Amino acid sequence: MEPELLLAATGALGLAVVFAPPRVPRAKLLTWGLLGLAGMAAIAIAPSLDLVILILLVLAVLQARLTSHRDFATRLRAPMLAVVLMALGLVLERMQGPVVLERFGAVGIVAGLVAAVGLLPYAHEFDPEESVVASPVPWIAFVGPLLAAAVVAQASEVVPADAGDAFGAMLIGLGLLNTLWGSVGSWRTANDAAAWRYSFMSDWGLVLCGFGLAIADGRAAALIILVSIVLGRLPLYLWSREALREKVPTDRAINLVVAAVLAGSAPFAGFPARVLLLRGATQLYWPLAVVLAAAMLLWLPGSLRLGRSMGVPRGRQAVGVAIVLGLNVLLGVYPQPLLTLAGL
Amino acid sequence: MAGAAFVAWVAASLIVLADARRGLALGLGLLSISLAVLTWPAGMVIGSGAIVVGGLIAAVQCWRSGPAGWGIMPAGSTPRLILCVASALLAFWLAASVTTGPDASLRFAALVVPALMGARILMSRDVTVALAGIAAMAMALGTASGLDAESAGPIPAIVAGLIAAGVMFVPAVPISPSTAAPPARSAKQDGA
Repeated sequence: MEPELLLAATGALGLAVVFAPPRVPRAKLLTWGLLGLAGMAAIAIAPSLDLVILILLVLAVLQARLTSHRDFATRLRAPMLAVVLMALGLVLERMQGPVVLERFGAVGIVAGLVAAVGLLPYAHEFDPEESVVASPVPWIAFVGPLLAAAVVAQASEVVPADAGDAFGAMLIGLGLLNTLWGSVGSWRTANDAAAWRYSFMSDWGLVLCGFGLAIADGRAAALIILVSIVLGRLPLYLWSREALREKVPTDRAINLVVAAVLAGSAPFAGFPARVLLLRGATQLYWPLAVVLAAAMLLWLPGSLRLGRSMGVPRGRQAVGVAIVLGLNVLLGVYPQPLLTLAGL
Repeated sequence: MAGAAFVAWVAASLIVLADARRGLALGLGLLSISLAVLTWPAGMVIGSGAIVVGGLIAAVQCWRSGPAGWGIMPAGSTPRLILCVASALLAFWLAASVTTGPDASLRFAALVVPALMGARILMSRDVTVALAGIAAMAMALGTASGLDAESAGPIPAIVAGLIAAGVMFVPAVPISPSTAAPPARSAKQDGA
């Protein structure tokens, strides 16, 4: 799963740099993006969870050292909490002792993962005026997807079968929380930039549920949603920042199409992922599918709002939006090559 | 081994209790040596060397930066002292009584040092203190990999040593705010 996400992140960086608005410093975006990609490549090839945590530590320090509105300590707080929780979880898993310790270890690893990505209950402090590179957005939409895939894959080797249920239950519980909170937040919050951040959270909720199901359908759904975050929601968010500044909602056809992409409707990438997730949840425990289906309905108002906040893309941004829409249609209509590549 | 674990706790406590460069540097130096001793029996001679070298480089750099003096236990540090003692008691109980196996000292250090360093980094607003805590955290993570019988050899310890040595040298980098989005109310204020 990691190589596919690394490839998607490379594509997203390319799109962000090539189709960036004129006032965005592309050289800096490219430099920091490549640094992030190098870290992600290291995470992808890391043979153990210890190394993944150490690489996370390095990435956290490098990002926190960028001067920004928020100070060093504030920006370091959430990733460091993630490192501590994952490290303690890993240590507990490696000790020979009662099962309850292993379960605590599983809880620590999941909590650390959620803290690293910036999901509830450890949402990163978000300042809409901050530059994208120094903000929490790279954690939730660029580095986070590959990090999550790597941590879940490595954890499956560390967490014993006795504690596997705690691991899955934590993932599903936090997934539902983020799905509901993110959907309602992106609909109800007063600030458009914050609404985008909540929409990332709601997508991540489905990803956590997919990983928590621990069956092929769940993992496939998680992969598709992660790729759609990196190659869909992230570039659209970057291109919406100009329009967010002008604060003029638009109601063109393109805004409706973007809303459809963000809502995960057919024929875009979110749709097969949601179908796979509901199918997997039904196999495992059907009331979970009912709750997920209800939560998915909440996507619509928030997505319509975000689609309107995009403005009307012009020039190179219009080309970028067209490419993103095309990729999402491709993934939505025929996701099998991606799943085959990932061995799912 | 028990002595090394005790010294590791003392060193981690020094980092938690110190606010100036000499106290932090002494804590880092002691911690690197004690963790290297704890790492050695796990068959990671190279990793042990990497941890001690990386930790000592971090200690030297720490000695040269940050507020002058020792700054150990300044006024208002009672909660930190209680944290150090309480975390040691909890880790000792877990390592010696709840869990089993031959490496009780390593288990104790692998529990108490990351916990103390995490608390130190999260409670600090000073860059030098946070970086010292991160260097110590990296060394503790490298040492903890010795708990795994099927670990990736000395690689985590070597990487940890490199991080410990390098993290104190990371400069602050200015980033253009030109990708800024709208001047609007912060998300943390909107209640959603």
